[in-house]
Amino acid sequence: MNGFLYGVALQWKLDIRSKSLLVTCYIVPLIFFLLMGGIFTSVMPEMRSTLIQSMIVMSVSMGAFIGLPPSLVETYGSDVKKVYKANGVPLYLGLVTMFLSAFVHLMISCAIILLLAPILFDAIMPVQLPFFFLALAIFIIVSLSIGSILGLIVKNQAKLTMIAQLVFLPSIMLSGIMFPIDLLPDFLEALGRISPASWGYRLMLDNGLCLENLWYLILVFCAAAIICAMLLNKQKSK
Amino acid sequence: MKDAIQVRELKKSYGSHMVLKGLDLQIEKGEIFALLGVNGAGKTTTLECIEGLRKYDSGAITVNGKMGIQLQSSSLPAHIKPMEAIKLFAKWNKTKIDDTMLNGLGIKEMEKKQYIQLSTGQKRRLHLALALIGNPDIIFLDEPTAGLDVEGRLSLHEQIRKLKSYGKTIILASHDMAEVETLCDRIAILNNGNIAFCGTASKLTDMVGRKYFIHIKTQQKDNTFETDNIEDTLISLLSELKQKKIHVLDIKVDRGTLEQHFIEMARREAE
Repeated sequence: MNGFLYGVALQWKLDIRSKSLLVTCYIVPLIFFLLMGGIFTSVMPEMRSTLIQSMIVMSVSMGAFIGLPPSLVETYGSDVKKVYKANGVPLYLGLVTMFLSAFVHLMISCAIILLLAPILFDAIMPVQLPFFFLALAIFIIVSLSIGSILGLIVKNQAKLTMIAQLVFLPSIMLSGIMFPIDLLPDFLEALGRISPASWGYRLMLDNGLCLENLWYLILVFCAAAIICAMLLNKQKSK
Repeated sequence: MKDAIQVRELKKSYGSHMVLKGLDLQIEKGEIFALLGVNGAGKTTTLECIEGLRKYDSGAITVNGKMGIQLQSSSLPAHIKPMEAIKLFAKWNKTKIDDTMLNGLGIKEMEKKQYIQLSTGQKRRLHLALALIGNPDIIFLDEPTAGLDVEGRLSLHEQIRKLKSYGKTIILASHDMAEVETLCDRIAILNNGNIAFCGTASKLTDMVGRKYFIHIKTQQKDNTFETDNIEDTLISLLSELKQKKIHVLDIKVDRGTLEQHFIEMARREAE
């Protein structure tokens, strides 16, 4: 196995050992799903058709904005990056392996929601599963790329917790997963429309995988990738 | 003999503060070389410039050989196990893991622990092992024994001597004068952004003399005496105290560091 693949496999193991990722990728999103799934479908039975997508948006946003950045800060905000540099390991390795590992963890967490929702809450499964999974993968990648910026920009864990919450909470509240976005006041509606979560949500709905819902996510991902590359370059040249 | 490292006119500033002011340095192949200096003298900056981890403003650095680096402040992901870190770095460096080296550093015995569970000494040994993975010709050790107990220090000294016997060049930054005198062939003292002295430890001792400090704690008060003749001073102090029937609670003897003496001497000369 070469260095890169070993790095990815090792990161996967480290994430399993780290309790914070277990909490943000599995325990909290699944508890939220179990509680809110019951509440939503009993108060508003029509939500059964969008329950899976709503709960997945919440789960992915939590894992990407609150779960991934602390692992990045552990490497890029500390002497770990110096040890990597000193021992000939490229700086991008940490970011790429953590990104890939978090992607797999989020996919698993979403698959659990997808399997349990119809059984527990009579939720309606997406009609075209391959398209659904493609939309899900795109949404996870875009969310993780935003989480990566947070992890590379913020240098300390206490500040990160605050900033991550500031990104996560509006993203969830204004994304349209709990109530239609057009019920919000104009200002909040505009904020909701720039949140990738609202675009991801629409993308995962049946017949949602189209350019109209996709272009904004591609734009956000490209911008995030450029920013991450610049931040890594800055760290390298320091 | 070709130099392992040559540094010419190295300059480095942090904002308006110039840390290195045109530093020149030559380190021969196969020697153990120590870089000394008080806190903030620029030891770590000098090492990191040579290691390629820090950009410098001007000057030239030539390194003849593969480098292995143990940093002063090192860290690894909290949940990584020692062998996992070693395998990761070995795979990136495309080198085989030397089991003899790992056994010598006691890495195998900490195999099941995660990085966060290792003691300071175990972490130091692990970082030394990581520095040695690529079978380097030149090894940088920045404060390698800081935070180690006596046993840990002795064991690390043994490892360093063993590396020298294999023909490796070792560059050591340290505060511990005794360690430097025991281990190193030559030392350099950094002062005010330049090399103030470069040569053997005995040459430096001859230049600045040797001072001891005797700290005596009695029931009445604590006293410190400075001397260059430790035996005579101790005997006379103790007999005086005995005569006066003053009960001694504690006695400590320490040597002022050579670098402190040297810098003090330079300061006096400048005055």
